Amino acid sequence: MPSQPLRVAVVCSSNQNRSMEAHNILSKRGFDVRSFGTGTHVKLPGPAPDKPNVYDFKTTYEQMYSDLVRKDKDLYTQNGILHMLERNKRIKQRPERFQSCKDQFDLVITCEERVYDQVLEDLNSREQETFQPVHVINVDIQDNHEEATLGAFLICELCQCIQHTDDMENEIDELLQEFEDKSSRPFLHTVCFY
Amino acid sequence: MASGSGERHFTGSEEAAIDMTTSEKVVDLLNQAAFMSTDDKLTALKQVQELIINKDPSLLDNFLDEMIAFQTDKSIEVRKFVIGFIEEACKRDNELLLKLIANLNMLLKDESVNVVKKAILTLTHLYKVSLQWLVQSKSVSEMQEACWNMVTQMKEEVLALLDSDNDGVRTHAIKFTESLIIALSPRKPDSDVPKKQEGDISLDKIPKDHSYIRYDVLCEEGKSALEQLLKFMVHPAISSINLTTALGSLATLARQRPMFMSEVVQAYETLHANLPPTLAKSQVSSVRKNLKLHLVSVLRHPSSVDFHSQISTLLQDLGMAQSEIARCVPAAAQPRKRSRHEPYSEGKRIKIEPALIEDDEDKEEPAPVVAPKPSTTTGTQSAIDLTADFIRPLLTPENVANLVLISMVYLPEVMPASFQATYTPVESAGTDAQIKHLARLMATQMTAAGLGPGLEQCKARGEEGKEGEGEASMEESSSKDPLIIRKVSAVSLGQAISVVGAYKSQPAEETPQAKKLPEPILPSTQSKAPGSSGRKKVFRLADVVQPLSDSQLEKLTNMAVKRILQAEKAIARSGMSHVRVKLLARLMTQFEGTMKDDMLRFILEDMRTRSDLAFSLLYQEYNQYLSQLPSGSLDSYEHCLFSLLSGLQERPEQRDGLFTKLVLEAPLITESALEVIRRYCEDESRVYLGMTTLKELILKRPSRQFQYLHVLLDLSSHDKEKVRSTALTFIKRMYEKDHLREYIEKFALNYMQLLVHPNPPSLLFGVGEDTEVASPWTEETVRQCLYLYLSLLPLNHRLVHELAAVYTEAIADIKRSVLRVIEQPIRGMGMNSPDLLLLVENCPKGAETLVTRCLHILTDKVPPSPDLVERVRDLYHKRVPDVRFLIPVINGLEKKEVIQALPKLIKLNPIVVKEVFNRLLGTQHSEGSPSMSPLTPGELLIALHNIDSTKCDMKSIIKATNLCFGEKNVYTSEVLAVVMQQLMEQNPLPMLLMRTVIQSLTMYPRLGGFVMNILSRLILKQVWKYPKVWEGFVKCCQRTKPQSYSVLLQLPPAQLISVFERCPEMREPLLQHVRSFTPHQQAHIPSSIMAILEASSRMQEPEPQREPEHMEAMEEREMHPQQVMMPVAQAEPPAPSVTAVHETVPPQSGSIKREEEEPMEEGEADLERLQVVSEATTQQIEALKSEPGTASVPQEKAEEPMETFTKSADAADQPQEEVDSVAEPETPAGEAERSREEED
Repeated sequence: MPSQPLRVAVVCSSNQNRSMEAHNILSKRGFDVRSFGTGTHVKLPGPAPDKPNVYDFKTTYEQMYSDLVRKDKDLYTQNGILHMLERNKRIKQRPERFQSCKDQFDLVITCEERVYDQVLEDLNSREQETFQPVHVINVDIQDNHEEATLGAFLICELCQCIQHTDDMENEIDELLQEFEDKSSRPFLHTVCFY
Repeated sequence: MASGSGERHFTGSEEAAIDMTTSEKVVDLLNQAAFMSTDDKLTALKQVQELIINKDPSLLDNFLDEMIAFQTDKSIEVRKFVIGFIEEACKRDNELLLKLIANLNMLLKDESVNVVKKAILTLTHLYKVSLQWLVQSKSVSEMQEACWNMVTQMKEEVLALLDSDNDGVRTHAIKFTESLIIALSPRKPDSDVPKKQEGDISLDKIPKDHSYIRYDVLCEEGKSALEQLLKFMVHPAISSINLTTALGSLATLARQRPMFMSEVVQAYETLHANLPPTLAKSQVSSVRKNLKLHLVSVLRHPSSVDFHSQISTLLQDLGMAQSEIARCVPAAAQPRKRSRHEPYSEGKRIKIEPALIEDDEDKEEPAPVVAPKPSTTTGTQSAIDLTADFIRPLLTPENVANLVLISMVYLPEVMPASFQATYTPVESAGTDAQIKHLARLMATQMTAAGLGPGLEQCKARGEEGKEGEGEASMEESSSKDPLIIRKVSAVSLGQAISVVGAYKSQPAEETPQAKKLPEPILPSTQSKAPGSSGRKKVFRLADVVQPLSDSQLEKLTNMAVKRILQAEKAIARSGMSHVRVKLLARLMTQFEGTMKDDMLRFILEDMRTRSDLAFSLLYQEYNQYLSQLPSGSLDSYEHCLFSLLSGLQERPEQRDGLFTKLVLEAPLITESALEVIRRYCEDESRVYLGMTTLKELILKRPSRQFQYLHVLLDLSSHDKEKVRSTALTFIKRMYEKDHLREYIEKFALNYMQLLVHPNPPSLLFGVGEDTEVASPWTEETVRQCLYLYLSLLPLNHRLVHELAAVYTEAIADIKRSVLRVIEQPIRGMGMNSPDLLLLVENCPKGAETLVTRCLHILTDKVPPSPDLVERVRDLYHKRVPDVRFLIPVINGLEKKEVIQALPKLIKLNPIVVKEVFNRLLGTQHSEGSPSMSPLTPGELLIALHNIDSTKCDMKSIIKATNLCFGEKNVYTSEVLAVVMQQLMEQNPLPMLLMRTVIQSLTMYPRLGGFVMNILSRLILKQVWKYPKVWEGFVKCCQRTKPQSYSVLLQLPPAQLISVFERCPEMREPLLQHVRSFTPHQQAHIPSSIMAILEASSRMQEPEPQREPEHMEAMEEREMHPQQVMMPVAQAEPPAPSVTAVHETVPPQSGSIKREEEEPMEEGEADLERLQVVSEATTQQIEALKSEPGTASVPQEKAEEPMETFTKSADAADQPQEEVDSVAEPETPAGEAERSREEED
């Protein structure tokens, strides 16, 4: 096992549900974890599918919370959005955008293929400097509360397995194959360099 | 001025102070770091790094060594940190490369892959740094040269790591290669240059006339690196991560060095058509996604314009929409007319070959602008294009159908994941565009496989170009390099279409050498062959050497071997010990003679360190033997093993277990070796180790285990106690194993069987002892035969029957010995053992003593079990009526049985009788629960009194009663009182009654009162009718005077006369006694009695008033319950009182008291009964008064017998005759007395 903890980033599109759920669990399990979104804006469900609540990444969870409470407290309580924001508030102040973060990670886990593509695109568009590798793994998770919880546990298990490998880079391939078989969902996996 | 200088001074000192503190701080941190945990250490070291690199670089040199010292730290993280530090330090001060590059080199070979990876990363940067540094140096020192040589060497090593086993290491090696290629190729105007790498060295910055760095060499190295990278990519078993990394690297190369664009695009094309078959489905998706991403990034680069058609075809195949692709094409590229990048060729030569332009086949490309292609890039381009062109007209429907049919044969059973992922339905089948695409696909494959007309042409051209000092294009390599071609063709040979993915393994590379050396090698080998054959004719070994004489040969051989032997340490230092050992072993087995002994001696001198040699030799010998089977002889092996073992055995105590190891690892244990093992076991100091070894042999070498077991069994009767007991312990453990059990048992029984011989067989004596003289059995020899058997007995009770069988046949001496030794094992078996019970039940003839002995042993400490009692009883009643059998189980018998057996029992040997009584009285089992005797002590004594004198002589009975009286703490006064009470009530009175009364009185004088009572009662029972009892009565009265006076006064006159006849001296005191009465009392004395008292010879009528007198006496008795002893002068007769007795017994401990109380109460109850009875008997007595004369009893000669009586009571060991005379019921003397009386 590597003596240093893995630096993990969990990325979804709005840094609200899936990445935050995983962030929550992973940090409880002692990982050095951060979470991000890749979208241009933070989108939360609105009164109708075509009327989402859109914020920019500067908005804090607290502000979103009070905004939604003001708009329709019942609706957002009922669909769990307020509860989710409540949880998010406790973890960090505001959503973060992956593209704006220049910190380095060992492992980036994305929650859907589109996000994976965006992460790859971003990482590849950066100028290479240190050649430090970063593994990017996509775990498809539907964007609802239940799936987010299940997905977070899967991510957590995956991270724990990776953390416990003696030589992560040598074993990650096989590990992912095993996980694919076990969870019967495909993982996209690649390596990028800082 | 002064102030100025002062100020300067001040600043100086301040700086110094800062220096001091920084330096001190560093020292402090370093000191602390040495003893810190990894995390703290890293923090401290990072601080130091910050201080000496950024804050005060002047300190860097000072603390360099201290920092670098951490590169040997246990922690991987610390070592990685040191690598980072090296990088930072070298960047800060390039001169440090001289010192640090060697350290980096060491870390590059670290055992941890994580450290290696970090080292590769650092080298990636430092390679450029060092190159730049050298390029900038005006003159290059030797040190710098050495440094650069090492960097170059390390570069090669990292490139070689592309073949590492570790995925991560390969990934890093790929990135290193990428960076290396970029550094070793020129930056061009159309190159993408990342901002941060603007200052980085690249080939174009290297002056072509540099004194040390050679432009052309570096250029070649760069190209070679690219080749390696490309070659790496086509490896069929490449991992998905490596592939992804390589794809990214190629994209970077294409963008930063557009001159490689064609290679990159072609590599992409080849890869797309030949995805490695080892990839899983999801990996295929990942790779394709990456490919798409990188293709787009390449497409965006302006210089890719010439490859747009290929790239878009690929992207379309990857599922990208045409419109999307179009969006990615940079607008500037569309109307691109500006100058192409310069064809990349090394050195100053830039040659455009007109032929290449003619080959241009770009007409069909969808690219809007068709520009003349630059010569070099068309190198392979045209090869594919040419082949495609060649193929296209051939793709008639018929041909295609045939191709499909043929290729069917090669289809794999399962569809490869890569095919499944890449397959897209052909929408435009049969169109011109599709045919063209197909032709191109095939051409790509063929070119990659080294086939096709296009390639031929290019090759021809390549040869041409090479004349002019090497053609520039990279693709050339694939045509020039035969090895690569072979490899690639091997890859695609067995398959029509590569997606089928039936790759074969590829041969190893070694490209660079093959590339340069193919031509020169050939002539040299050719010239060598004839040369050597020519020499052969001239040179014959026999011509130039003389044969050595045998002795010379031997001497030389010996010396050679000795040298090898002696070279032990030198060779060990060189780490080749195993070779020496092997060599020696081989040599030894081939030579006869003293050499072997020398070597064995050598080994034994220091067996511990030379054990590998010993084993090697032993195995070699055995091997030799095996190879000569079946005729081979074991002698040599045996000699070797024997010498080694006995060498070890003779050595002083060693605790290294070498002996065991040698025995257990020897391929075969020979007879002589076994003998040594036996000797080893006999050594008391090593017996345990030896037998452990033997045990291991027995358990682990099943084929000859009985042979080994036999040795162990033999040792079980060894003279030495320690050897013997250890052997027995081991055997007992082995006896638990079923397959060994039978053998052990048989051995033990055989050994025991020896006991039936009249004399001990010679087997029992150690080897060498002369035993032909028939010596008698001794205790020792008997034991020897039994050790093993007896230790097995408790484990297997069945064996006990064998003992009985042997016992019956053995001579008396042996029987005695056997009886002595069986105690322990029999006790171990316990009385519940079914086999022991069976033995008792069967009791073979002749084994009675054995059985009795067993019974005794079993019941020695514990009461017998009902089962055992039952068997014994059966045995006694049905088969062997020997009362002695009953003794051990006597307490298990019923009361009736015991009483029945008593006459026989007490006739036995006094010691035995004593034992019987001990058992019955519970005085034997001192520990444990009080035995459950079927008889209470009282009952026993009564039973003794009641023994029919026809069944047993009185002498024995008296002895038996004496034994009872001997147990004073059992026969307490209370017990005796009860006994007497009960005996007295019997009819007829037991013969020994008075003897017992007297004896009880002797033991417990305080029973006097009670005895008086008994006496009175006896009078009522007309005691004078039983001559022996009467005799005792008188004697008793005599002994108890004056207490007995009142009793005597109760006698009828005739009997009183009889008393006085026996002891005349009693008369006067009795008369005095009566006279001392008050007149009233005297009135109660009948005149007849008074007459007798006053005149001894007178006969008197019995007194009718006796009854009231008697009653009065009774009352008086009750009135004075406390009085035990009456003074002689006292008027009242002493009253025997049980309560008085009771009260005078000092209370002892509570429990004992309770036990005693019971018989006491019984006694009281009995006394009450006695009173009732006596009332009844008084009436009888009155009835008897009518016949006075009948009760007359001889009174003479009472003295003597009574004396002997008491004497015998005092001492149990009294001579028999005296007791007999008293005990005899009818003596002739008595008869005579009676007749004399009648005469009177």
